[in-house]
Amino acid sequence: MDSSSNLNFPFTISCTPTKLNPQFCPQKPTFLTFMKYPSSFLTISSIPTKPNPQSCSKNPIFFTSIRCSRNIRHGLSSVSCLIMEEAPLDERLSVVDKVRSLSLEFRSLSEPIDRVKRLLHYASILPPLCESARVQENRVLGCTTQVWLEVRMNSRGSMNFSVDSDSEITKGFCSCLMWVFDGAEPEEILSVTAEDLGDMNVGLPKKGRSRVNTWHNVLFSMQNRTKDCVQERKRALSLEDLHSLVIRPHEHVGGPSANGSYLESEPKCSFEVK
Amino acid sequence: MITTTTPMEGAMLKLPCLRSVSRNTNFTNRSSNSFPWSYRRLHISASASASASAPLVEGPKLGPGSLGHITRSDFPILHQEINGLKLVYLDNAATSQKPRAVIEALQNYYEAYNSNVHRGIHYLSAKATDEYESARQKVANFIHAAEAKEIIFTRNATEAINLVAYSWGLSNLKPGDEIITTIAEHHSAIVPWQIVAQKTGAVLRFVNLTEDEVPDVGQLRDSLSSSTKLLVMHHVSNMLASVLPMDEVISWAHDVGAKVLVDACQSVPHMVVDVKNLDTDFLVGSSHKMCGPTGVGFLYGKSEILSGMPPFLGGGEMIADVYLDHSTYAEPPSRFEAGTPAIGEAIGLGAAIDYISEIGMQQIHDYEMELGNYLYDRLSSVSDVRIYGPAPSRTVKRAALCSFNVKDIHPTDIATFLDQQHGVAIRSGHHCAQPLHRHLGINASARASLHFYNTKDDVDKFIDALKDTINFFTSFK
Repeated sequence: MDSSSNLNFPFTISCTPTKLNPQFCPQKPTFLTFMKYPSSFLTISSIPTKPNPQSCSKNPIFFTSIRCSRNIRHGLSSVSCLIMEEAPLDERLSVVDKVRSLSLEFRSLSEPIDRVKRLLHYASILPPLCESARVQENRVLGCTTQVWLEVRMNSRGSMNFSVDSDSEITKGFCSCLMWVFDGAEPEEILSVTAEDLGDMNVGLPKKGRSRVNTWHNVLFSMQNRTKDCVQERKRALSLEDLHSLVIRPHEHVGGPSANGSYLESEPKCSFEVK
Repeated sequence: MITTTTPMEGAMLKLPCLRSVSRNTNFTNRSSNSFPWSYRRLHISASASASASAPLVEGPKLGPGSLGHITRSDFPILHQEINGLKLVYLDNAATSQKPRAVIEALQNYYEAYNSNVHRGIHYLSAKATDEYESARQKVANFIHAAEAKEIIFTRNATEAINLVAYSWGLSNLKPGDEIITTIAEHHSAIVPWQIVAQKTGAVLRFVNLTEDEVPDVGQLRDSLSSSTKLLVMHHVSNMLASVLPMDEVISWAHDVGAKVLVDACQSVPHMVVDVKNLDTDFLVGSSHKMCGPTGVGFLYGKSEILSGMPPFLGGGEMIADVYLDHSTYAEPPSRFEAGTPAIGEAIGLGAAIDYISEIGMQQIHDYEMELGNYLYDRLSSVSDVRIYGPAPSRTVKRAALCSFNVKDIHPTDIATFLDQQHGVAIRSGHHCAQPLHRHLGINASARASLHFYNTKDDVDKFIDALKDTINFFTSFK
């Protein structure tokens, strides 16, 4: 199928990193602009149309060809490039690459509504968290929306996250963060700053703590709980006869206590050692 | 002594719910003759005999030439584009915009006479002191306090409440004493009293809502007893838009010997508030919600009560004499204003009071009532919208704000889209009223709140934008 001849400019082509293509997400990110018409542009960027970090990290693949189809369902001015063929990916994208890729993607969407639509799309493909996990102890505090976050360190020492929200836009944020961080090493996760995610904002404060800054709050929550997992892993590995240990979120007596920061008062992570 | 459980939960009593709620519609007219523009006064009948179903808007007061249209030009910030769209600012319950007169007062202070107050002998300090104390007098006049020394400048209303909590509360409350408040209070009127209750052993009791979603003053009256030492209540709810009959409530509280602290943050900027008529013991207000700068608020306290209260903060300015082993304290208000205050901001607050007083608080109130009813009517006509708080009628007055939710769309998503796609600024979240939201069975709500510089056009744009927002999110389902 070739619908490119029917495209109206300007529009954006998004390439799905569900199956990541290093050629489209290189160390130097691709950002191609084609001036078909003086006032029109065509942008190709690598976009997590379907973030699936586990696929990225555990069974990496990349696409060898793309098919473009214009998304007219919601009047989007962008085009989704769907994956036709898949092949193993030699090396997975680093967190830095993913952040850079996301940053490019959102920067390429100059219209606010397009960024909102993109987030809603990502929200729609984020697997819902089971009800049993949508509990107070998994809440990310400091958000105007409800966000629930589960954090686990797997037996290889990398991190796995599950996240959900009652807000669709927030869920879209979380979906992107999932794509970036799920399966990553703790050091990579802790290296990211809120400023790195600044280009992904949808009218939200870029700097500092804010009750509405979901990027910031979820990012810091992921990082704080990752730190906890690292510490717990170090402690657990020092025990010789340990076969299996699962550390549950802290159960505070009388609810969360103030430790100087609402983020620091959150529950810790789950940690598995085999 | 701490009560058997946490004050928040364990001491919360489930009192019988009374349906009838009397509402105060006696707003004193003030300075109406000084209004410089030919704005026609609005007349909204408060007759209890009038039909509740009759139209609430009686005249074409919202069209061209309205108070909103006339005053908009005084607010430079309103004349800008957000995301390429003309700004529609409907987040006034969070903070108000500042007229040029306030901005110029701040600029003039910093350019012409910036200096520390009270202790300097030089010209600039004397000028700054005069203006700072003049601002105090303006606040006193504005709320009809007997004397300027009954006004204490604080950082904000939250600090003013904390001042009362830590000074009066810790020195006057003992185990078994009761503090009564409502579940609809702002967090700043709950948390300080939780702390005080924990420290003193006093019991914190909460009044629920009626079925009309108004704090149940009947329940409140029934809960008053000789154990009640303090009543802490909002005048106007920042979420429900309900207006409480504080004159009656205060009278009931005084009958049992209790003191009353009124959170007037949402009333002082929008209506005439007269502390003498109310006979309240304490009242707090916030500059930034009444067209003044941020960083300054005020506490009103009766002189005889303030004089008996210990300091809240220690430091310069609040002392008479300091020795190595002890100090003697200055008289109020200095006793409660330790350190260098927000001088320019207080002067800016004075300029804001000048500005809104010149319009006239009764005119502001009448216009906002009409515009608020228009907002309510239009918003309630949108499908799947649930507005919280009482329905307005001839006898039930709402403040000019609507907290609402749209079925199956998160309020933060609504607020984000309104901002990004339409340039409409509203608020989403719990509005610092989580207990109230829990009571209503929700986690968050959206809120559109008006001020006198808003217009019917603003409301229309908001409603159109909201409909588009709903359509947008519905299309994604």
